[in-house]
Amino acid sequence: MEERIVVSDAYRARIRSMHDTKVKLNKEKLAAYGGSIDIDDHGFIYFDGFTFQPDYPDESGVLYGCRAIGQNLRRFLNEIPVYIHPDSALTGAWAGVFQNFANIGLRPEDRPVQFAELHKKYGITQSGIGGMNHLGPDMTIGFRDGLPGLLEKVRWYRQFNAPADTDFYDGEEAVVLGMMEYTARHRDYARELAEKETDPFRRANYEKMADVNDALLNRPPRTFREACQFLAIFQSVDRTYYAGGALGQLDELLRPFYEKDVKDGVLTDEEAVWMIASLFYNDTHYSQIGGQLPDGSRGLTSHVSFLILEAAHLLHIPYNLAVRVYEDESCDPLLRRAVEYILEDGSGPSFSLSEGIETGYTRQGHPRELARMRAKVGCNWVALPGIEYPLQDVTRLNLAWAFLYALDEVMESGNPNLDDLWTHFLAHMKIMVNCIKDGYDWHYEVVSRNTPEVVLNLFCHGPIERGVNSASGGVDIINLNVDGIALATVADSFAAIEQRVVREKKLTWQEMYEAVKSNFEGKENIRLMLKNIPRFGNPDSLANNWALKIRDSYVAEVLSSKTPKHHLTVIPGMFSHGDVFAYGKRLPATPNGRKYGDPISHSAEPDPGFAQGLVSFSPTLKANAVASVQPGMGNSAPLHLDIDVDMLQRAGGADTLCTLIHVHNQMGGTLLNLNCVTKEQIRQAHADPDSQPDLVVRVTGYSAFFASLSKEYRQQVVDRYLSDEK
Amino acid sequence: MAAEGIIFNIQSFSVQDGPGIRTTVFFKGCNLRCAWCHNPESWKFEPQIQFYPEKCIGCGNCFSVCPNGVHVAAEEHILRRENCTACGRCADECYAGALALTGRRMTAEELFRRIQVDQPYYQKSGGGVTFSGGECMMQPDFLAELLHLCREAGIQTAVDTAGHCPWEKLERMLSDADLFLYDLKAYSPALHKKLTGVENGQILSNFEKLLEYGARVIVRIPCIPGANWEEIPQLADYLAGKPVELVELLAYHKLGEGKRKALDMAIESFTVPSKADMQEMTDLFESKGIPVRCSGV
Repeated sequence: MEERIVVSDAYRARIRSMHDTKVKLNKEKLAAYGGSIDIDDHGFIYFDGFTFQPDYPDESGVLYGCRAIGQNLRRFLNEIPVYIHPDSALTGAWAGVFQNFANIGLRPEDRPVQFAELHKKYGITQSGIGGMNHLGPDMTIGFRDGLPGLLEKVRWYRQFNAPADTDFYDGEEAVVLGMMEYTARHRDYARELAEKETDPFRRANYEKMADVNDALLNRPPRTFREACQFLAIFQSVDRTYYAGGALGQLDELLRPFYEKDVKDGVLTDEEAVWMIASLFYNDTHYSQIGGQLPDGSRGLTSHVSFLILEAAHLLHIPYNLAVRVYEDESCDPLLRRAVEYILEDGSGPSFSLSEGIETGYTRQGHPRELARMRAKVGCNWVALPGIEYPLQDVTRLNLAWAFLYALDEVMESGNPNLDDLWTHFLAHMKIMVNCIKDGYDWHYEVVSRNTPEVVLNLFCHGPIERGVNSASGGVDIINLNVDGIALATVADSFAAIEQRVVREKKLTWQEMYEAVKSNFEGKENIRLMLKNIPRFGNPDSLANNWALKIRDSYVAEVLSSKTPKHHLTVIPGMFSHGDVFAYGKRLPATPNGRKYGDPISHSAEPDPGFAQGLVSFSPTLKANAVASVQPGMGNSAPLHLDIDVDMLQRAGGADTLCTLIHVHNQMGGTLLNLNCVTKEQIRQAHADPDSQPDLVVRVTGYSAFFASLSKEYRQQVVDRYLSDEK
Repeated sequence: MAAEGIIFNIQSFSVQDGPGIRTTVFFKGCNLRCAWCHNPESWKFEPQIQFYPEKCIGCGNCFSVCPNGVHVAAEEHILRRENCTACGRCADECYAGALALTGRRMTAEELFRRIQVDQPYYQKSGGGVTFSGGECMMQPDFLAELLHLCREAGIQTAVDTAGHCPWEKLERMLSDADLFLYDLKAYSPALHKKLTGVENGQILSNFEKLLEYGARVIVRIPCIPGANWEEIPQLADYLAGKPVELVELLAYHKLGEGKRKALDMAIESFTVPSKADMQEMTDLFESKGIPVRCSGV
C-alpha cells in the first residue's frame, strides 16, 4: 500500500488558506447569484462590477462565428481582472462564463424553430442543438506545442490549407493570442506583487509565478509547475467559453514532468501536492486518474495519482476527479486510498467503472483498446481525449411525457388495456427520439458557423489540421448521445396499472385515470394505492420487468437508425443530471402516485423509498437495480450512494466500500457517486446550511458545497440519505 | 426437500452480522423473551399485524375488510389483537402503510434464490449470509436446507443463535454452517431467567460443545446498564482462555421501541451505555487476553 504523502505544516497552511478563501468567495457568489447555485461548483471568482461590451458582427445583436467569437473572447481575456491567490502556486482565475457577458448563440436564421412545436409538446428543453463543450481535449497537444506552438500551428495551417474563408483560423488565432495576453498580464501582475511583497516565501513565489508565465509565452512547459500553470491557463479559458470542463487523464499528463523534476532534484512531493491543489483551487475541471494502458497490460496508477488524491483531500473543496475502476489488483491501492478519503471527508472522487464503459463502447464497434483510453471528463460522461465528439449530457427525453400521451389516447379509445398503452407509449417515444435525431442533423449543419469549439479545437487531433470545427468532422469519431430519463417514473406507472387495475382489479381504468387527471385531489387513498406497490428496485417486482422492457425498447429505438439526413451515429444514454425537479415541474401527475410538479426519477435509478415489505433498503439493492438497466453502449448512467458512515464505523468500512464499487463494476455499472456522512450531519446541514459552509457533497457526477445548493437540490441528497426511512 | 419457514426481513449489505458484506435473514419466532429485544416482531412464529398510527390517513379500509372486527374506532384507532388471525387483508388495503403484516412464509428454495443475487458481494468481501431472528434454530429443517443450499453454491454462512435448544439441533448444522454468532446475555442462571425467561444451563453447555467441536464462534454480548451490565465481567472471566474467534460487545440502543409500540407491546426502556462505559468494558476483555470488539456507540 502506498504510504500517505507527507506534507509539512507550512504547505498544509498554504493549501488551507486556499480552502478558506474558497469558502469565503462562495458566500459572496451565493449572495450575487440569488442564494443558490445548482450547477457544478465552478471555481470562478466573482468580480463585482466587472462588465464587458461585446462587438457584435451585425445588427442581430448575437455574437456568432469563429472570428467574431475568437476576437471578442480575446478582448474579454484582456479585460477581466487579473487574480493571484497569495498562497497558490499558480496564477489566474476566470470571471464567469462568457455567455453571461455576451449574447452568444445561434444567429436568428439558424435557430431550430421548426422543432418548437414538438419540443413544447414533449417538454424537450435540452434538444442537443447548440450543445457545447461535451468533448474531451487531449492536453498532450498543449504540452507538446505550448502557446507559441499552437499559434504557429494555426497560422501554418491557415496558409497551407488556404481556405476560401479564413473565419475559422482567424477565430482560433485570436483565441491563442487571447490566452497568451492573459498569460502575459498575469506574468506582469506577479512581478508587481513580488516587488511589493515583504514575506520572503511569497516574494519568491510571485517571482517564480512570473518566470513560469514568461516561459510559457516562449515555449512549451518543461517543468511540473509549468505544466500545472499551463493547465490552469487552459481551464480558465476553457471554462470561460461555454463552461468547458474536461482535462483528461491527469496523472499520466503530469507524470513525465514529475519524474523529470524529481530526477533533476527540483521538485518535492509536498510542492507537487501544493501545485495540484492550486490547480484544483483554480477550477473544478473534470479529470480521471488510474485506469489501464490501451492494451490492458499495465495499470496507469503512479505516484502522481496519489499526489493528486492527496491534493484534493487536503484542499477539501468541490473537485471533480474520477478514479477509474477495473478488475485487476493493480487497481486496488488507488481505489482504496480514494475510499479512505471519502470516509474521512464525506465525499471525494467519483468512480468511473471500466466494465460498463468499455464493453459498451465495444458494442459501438470500437476496439477494446480504444475503449480503455476513454476518460471520465464530465458530469457523467466519458470521451476519448482529442478524437471523439460524443455530446453526452446535452439532451433529455422525459419519457413520462410519452407515457402520459399514450394514457390519454388509450382512455379516449374506450377500450383501455396494457398492450395498447405500451404500443402508444412506444409510438410517442419514437417521435421523441426522432425529434432529437432530426435536431442533431440541424446541429451538425449550423453549430460550426455559429458557436464553434474555439478553445477545445486547439487541443483536439484534427480541427486545426483540417480547418474544421470538431462538431463537423474536425475529429474522427462523432457519436451523439440521447439521454432518456424518468425510467422509474414510467416503469412504476406501468406496474401500478398492471397491479392495481389489471391484476387485482381494485380500480377500474377510469377510476385510475380520473384520479391521475385530477392530480389525486380528494383521492389520496388511490394515490397511495398506486404508489405503494413493489416499485422498481424491489426484487421480483412487476416494475423491474417494466424497467427492463422500457430500457430495451429505448435502446433499440435510438440504435434503430442514424440521423436521417447526415447519417450520424446516435447512442442511447440515461442521465438526468440533477434536473429531476426541473423536469417534474411541468409534468402532470403520473400513475405511480407522483403529483403534478413533483420530481421525476433520477437517471436509471429507483425512486427513494423503493424498498418496502420484506426487504429493507440497502446500497446493494439499489446498485443491483441500476446495474440491471444500464443502456449498455458505453455512456454512464450513474449510481448515487449516500451511505451513513455510522453504519460503516467498524474497521473494514473502506474494504466494504471497495467491494461495493468492484461488484457494481462487475455487474456492468458505469459510474458511482458516493457520499459518506452521518444522517444527523446531513439533516442539520439541510435545516441550516450556514452551519456547515464547507460540507462538500457529490450531487451527481459533480460535487458542490452543500450550502450552495437550492433547497430542492439539497432535498435530493437528503432523500437519498434517508431512503430507508421513507 | 421442500422445507418452508417464516421470516420477517431480508437485509442485504449487512455489515454488522459477521465478516464482510452479508445478507441477514431474520427468522420469525423465538423461545427467549429478552426484555430489551429490538426485534419484538420476531417473537411469535405466526405473522402479525404491525400498526403505525402516525401513518394512518383514516380511510377506513381496514374496518370494512376485516372479517373479525379487529379494528375499532374508539377515541382513536385501536386493534383488538385477541381477535386477529393475521390474515393480512387490512394490511393489503392499507395503502398509507399504517398497517403491515410482518412475517412471510417462504420455501428454502425461494429464499435461497433471493439471497443468491448478492453472491458477488459475498465473494469479493469474504462475507456471506447470516441466519438470525428471532431464533433461527427454532426452524431447524428450514435452516438446515438453507445452509446446505448455500454450501453447495459456495456461499459462506453464519448462524446467529442464543443456543437455547437441544444440542442435536445445533449439531445438525455443524456440517454446513461456517460460523456461529453465539449470544451470551448473562452469566448466572437466575439473572438470565429474569432477563430472558429461561435459564442458561443449556446455552452454556451447547456453547462449550461447539467449541469442543472446533466450530468457528463469535460471541455477542448485549451490554445493557440496569440489566446485564453487572454480570458482563463474569462473562469475561468465563470466556478467558476459550477458543472463540472474537467477542463482540453490543451497546444497547432503543431502536426496538417503535416496533414494540406498533405491536401494542409494553416498552421497557434501559439506559444506553456511554462510549466511555463501553470502552471500559472492552478494556476489561482485552486485559484478559480475549479478542474483543465493541460496536453500537
